Amino acid sequence: MSTPIDPITLEVIWNRLISVVNEQAAALIHSSFTTVVREAGDLSAGVFDREGNMIAQSVTGTPGHINTMASCVKNYVVPNYPIDSLEAGDTLITNDPWEASGHLFDLTIVSPVYHKGKGVAWFASTCHAVDIGGLTMGGDATELYEEGLAIPLMKLFERGEPNKMLFDIIRANVRVPDQVIGDIYAQQVGNNVGAKKFIELLEEYDLDDIEAVSQMILDRTEIAVRNAIRDVPDGTYTSEVMIDGFDSPITIGCQVTVKDDELIVDYAGTSPQVNRGINVVLNYTHAYTTYTLMASLAPGIPNNEGAFRPIHVTAPEGSVLNCRRPAPVSARHLIGHFVSQPILSALSTVVPDRVIANGSAGLWNTMLNGTLADESPFAYIYFSAGGMGAGHNRDGISATAFPSGIMGVPVEAIETAAPVLMHRRELRQDSGGAGEFRGGLGQEMALEIITGKPATHSCMYDRTTYPAQGLNGGLSGAVGEVVLSDGTHPHPKSRYTLQSGKHVILKLPGGGGFSNPTLRDPQRVLEDVRQGYVSIDGAETDYGVIINPDSMTVNIDATESKRKEMNNGG
Amino acid sequence: MTSSEILLAVDIGGTFTDIVLFDTATQNITVEKVLTTYPDPAIAVLDGIRALIARTDIQPDHIAYVVHGTTLITNTLIERKGAQTALLTTAGFRDAIEIGNEGRYDMYDLALVKPQPLVERRLRFDVPERITADGTIWTELDTAELQNLCQQIKEEEIEAVAICFLHAFTNPAHELEALDIVSELLPDVAISVSHQVAPGMREYPRTSTTVANAYVQPITEEYMARVEDGLRESGISAPLNIMLSSGGTTTVEAASKFPIRLVESGPSGGALAGVYWGAQVGYPDVLAFDMGGTTAKAVLTKHGDLTITNQSEVAHVHRFKRGSGLPLMVPMIELIEIGAGGGSIARLNNLGLPTVGPESAGSTPGPSAYGRGGTQPTVTDADLLIGYLNPDYFADGTIKLDVDSARTAYEPLAESLKLSVDRLAWGVHQLVNENMAAAARVHAAERGLEIRRYSMVATGGAGPVHACGVAEKLGLQRVIVPPLAGVGSAFGFMTAPISFDFTRSYVSHLDSLNLDELNKILDDLEKEGRSIVETAGIASDEIDVQLSIDMRYVGQGYEVRVPFAKQTLNVSHIAQIRSAFEDEYKQFYGQLANGVPIEAVNWRVVISSPKPEIGKFSLSTDITKDTAYTSRPVIFTAETEPYQTPVYRRDVLSIGWQAEGPLIIEEAASTTIVLPDWSARVDDSGCLVLTREEKTE
Repeated sequence: MSTPIDPITLEVIWNRLISVVNEQAAALIHSSFTTVVREAGDLSAGVFDREGNMIAQSVTGTPGHINTMASCVKNYVVPNYPIDSLEAGDTLITNDPWEASGHLFDLTIVSPVYHKGKGVAWFASTCHAVDIGGLTMGGDATELYEEGLAIPLMKLFERGEPNKMLFDIIRANVRVPDQVIGDIYAQQVGNNVGAKKFIELLEEYDLDDIEAVSQMILDRTEIAVRNAIRDVPDGTYTSEVMIDGFDSPITIGCQVTVKDDELIVDYAGTSPQVNRGINVVLNYTHAYTTYTLMASLAPGIPNNEGAFRPIHVTAPEGSVLNCRRPAPVSARHLIGHFVSQPILSALSTVVPDRVIANGSAGLWNTMLNGTLADESPFAYIYFSAGGMGAGHNRDGISATAFPSGIMGVPVEAIETAAPVLMHRRELRQDSGGAGEFRGGLGQEMALEIITGKPATHSCMYDRTTYPAQGLNGGLSGAVGEVVLSDGTHPHPKSRYTLQSGKHVILKLPGGGGFSNPTLRDPQRVLEDVRQGYVSIDGAETDYGVIINPDSMTVNIDATESKRKEMNNGG
Repeated sequence: MTSSEILLAVDIGGTFTDIVLFDTATQNITVEKVLTTYPDPAIAVLDGIRALIARTDIQPDHIAYVVHGTTLITNTLIERKGAQTALLTTAGFRDAIEIGNEGRYDMYDLALVKPQPLVERRLRFDVPERITADGTIWTELDTAELQNLCQQIKEEEIEAVAICFLHAFTNPAHELEALDIVSELLPDVAISVSHQVAPGMREYPRTSTTVANAYVQPITEEYMARVEDGLRESGISAPLNIMLSSGGTTTVEAASKFPIRLVESGPSGGALAGVYWGAQVGYPDVLAFDMGGTTAKAVLTKHGDLTITNQSEVAHVHRFKRGSGLPLMVPMIELIEIGAGGGSIARLNNLGLPTVGPESAGSTPGPSAYGRGGTQPTVTDADLLIGYLNPDYFADGTIKLDVDSARTAYEPLAESLKLSVDRLAWGVHQLVNENMAAAARVHAAERGLEIRRYSMVATGGAGPVHACGVAEKLGLQRVIVPPLAGVGSAFGFMTAPISFDFTRSYVSHLDSLNLDELNKILDDLEKEGRSIVETAGIASDEIDVQLSIDMRYVGQGYEVRVPFAKQTLNVSHIAQIRSAFEDEYKQFYGQLANGVPIEAVNWRVVISSPKPEIGKFSLSTDITKDTAYTSRPVIFTAETEPYQTPVYRRDVLSIGWQAEGPLIIEEAASTTIVLPDWSARVDDSGCLVLTREEKTE
């Protein structure tokens, strides 16, 4: 196309590009073989220009996948395999945790696209494989080598022919080869569909390539993000968050520096890497950092290479957020999800209206293994969410995952798939951090195994020691707790034997509150009590609101004096 | 229904209530459009019917069949104006409707708001009882506690009660027992029970559906009674049939018991009309495309079969964000909903690029050109500026479009983009076409369908204006604009069979099905459905019974729906069911998971009457008047000058007429744009059939 692209054509083509990547993702999901891709939506798909700049991504996906895939294509794939060194029908694959998305389970598959004899674009996707050999998902490995099969960047297909040697190696190394290989093909199907639709787009709009469009979209995105950053006053804002860690607590230090239209996040002060598979590679730290900043400062602006340009992320080498090879990394999300927390806290001092208080952040992963009555084995894992933090003008959302995009599983589905009886699953009264705006409530579950035999319960639970902090005078949410019906407390990151007939009770953490709780309208506190989100005692201790239990009304005088006493440091 | 009868269909829409009277003997069709009345839409319905009857010489008691679709249920849920409702749940699970799926529907929105449950927490009561996944009673129902709770409910002035116990779809014993107790102690309260309303696995959507059903039950019952009484008073003795969102109709009695099944009845009428006209013209693979003032909806039907989904949402917090609504688990025609209509507003997005919607000027104040106080640049304004619409003939001449207002509305945007107003208007038209095409494209990709093979049936006021443009973007070769495109939904209602269906979750490996138990379940479902359809006056031997089974490989999260003949199942059928599953699976996924066991999850029994036979419309065949009555300049491309385009009136076009585009065909309800490279003809059925010339390079 010789004439410059006007804004309308640009927007039309841009919308079409988004449609193309959504079709790519749809084709991938459609042909995928696994629930982790199909139901949990644990995948990302995107289109990149010649140089590997991510232009558009599908609506599916988690931050951990999208942004790490972007960095992998640009910084690892293109430098090693420039597009003109490949041919139509070639496809590359890698699962290198440091170069791609942080653990071996995620396979990144990248295909170049050619038009009129020239390399014009890349299509890539990242999917979580159900198995990659090694120890299964968890933090138990002490080195990467125990965590499964590593695939350095190499050709998966060459001129359309599968790399048989590689497929044989994968097949020989994973527990469920049909599903793993099936999903690899599904990713390839997605890339092919994307490429086909992409070439149709070029033909329809009479374009030789996408470079001009890409440049305009990335530039405009960059400008929009820079403008959003400029709205944040210059300065360095510091915060720190403590989390339980695996064997010992972990500190995430965080400095956010805003300088005109650039933003630097530095995780200086973060604990050193550990001997467990919860270490995070910088790529993944970067991904959740940019995600958190985009959601907070620039929601609605496309998430592409242009958006990443003004954002810089550093973490001390050898820290748990920038671990060195060959650190074990399998369950890196256990730490990685927490980077969102100090960023938002740091920004709260200058843009309180753009942030939320800390929440439970890490998903609670419950894994159960044992044998059924007929001695056949069962294994089941599900994820649950605690409360989100409150915002400057609204309560936090109860029992909802943030920053992860994963969804929970219904009790009926759990009980159908595993020999479990859930005795209750309800919101946890008084677990939301008090504040003018209350933190979201955690949830409480009680379950038992009904095989008549003991089973192994693997816990991956955080925030049992360190609660989600409130903001601006808001109080912390309740910490989480794992307790058995006999009153004993299993280690929240351990495996233990759950005896038949015994209940285990999971109390998930609540989110932090926002602003001083004595500022909360007493009538809203009363309403929370009427609905059972807050107890009458909680109303008095945390909010200074005295409620008459018989009439269920606020005792205004008593409330006033109680609040006065609280604010005077009484 | 026999071949010569008088049919009456009524469709309540957001702005208009459409009433269509069709005499199958004379093939005369009469249409009445009245403004929808709020808060009581029954007023418009009855007034409109009376006016329509007064205009014709039809005796009200000659009307043989009345079918009605209403937005009452949807509006009640959106506006939260339903009954004060209480929920009785298995002790420990009253928060299922608040905890939901624990997910966020928009990853980048930290200020996200989740849909508020219809029952506040203090009115959600724990009932001690427990049934396990295999249907075993773990804890007996505590009837004494239930009686106490009923007393509490009485004191709260509750109008409706939803009962939802865990695994009740597997063993309904406790729900039935509770139903008895509650109906005895609370005789004036509407009661909805989960295993009847939404008998499927997953407590969140099942509870949500049951609660929504209870919430709208009292208002629906009153409304239905009012309409029925009004019909009687007007001398119409034919039974009232109610349109369901699944594409069938049912009795007032069943509709009042399961009002939540009426939620998307209007769009399902549109889909039925699409199927009907596609078949009439001879193209059964149809993309039914309906574009009105605020939204566009599309449905893909293959061989005339409508895809029924059991997962949908209503009353969204963000209208076009999937996941922001209350989940519903009732059979519903699968719709593609697109946030674009004639009233959609053009604006600059945060990249400084022009974008359209999702904000809409709706019908009030409406587009700037309406001159009703709207000042924002909308899609209709753009369509007017590029010459697609006739300022003097819009909505049957009832609205005069003001070109200057449209221009003024676009000027600031054009200026900031450094484009001419005409260029921008053309661009907005293209953008909205691209957005609608994208939604259809992705929907087709999600289902593995090749959309190019489909024919578009375009309805709604703005549908035929955009049809060719959207079709080009999708690579379609054919667009059908049916007669009466402006009342497509009401017309579609007439083609709907009387039908009801029940789905039961019964999860079992295919190899270890308990056939005795299963046959009993299926027979019960059939009996229940038959009783509903027979109540509507359908003879038992005319009733068609269909079975479909949702199946998957063990471990998968999604099921494939496999049709199978309803019969008493025996061991020899298992292999047939397996191979039917494998055929469907292969078509959908391309490959089988050989060696993995197969499980059946849901069993759906559909009981229906034969589809009503509708004859053809009477249409002129006098071709002497088939000439253009005027012409106007129209912009078809960004590069070329406006083209002086001939304009026809549809009502003078006779069967067999044809012409090459570009041209414009105007009618009361809409305007059809025939783009360059397209040709138009009037088919035997009275449809306008637009065909694209195959490009030869």
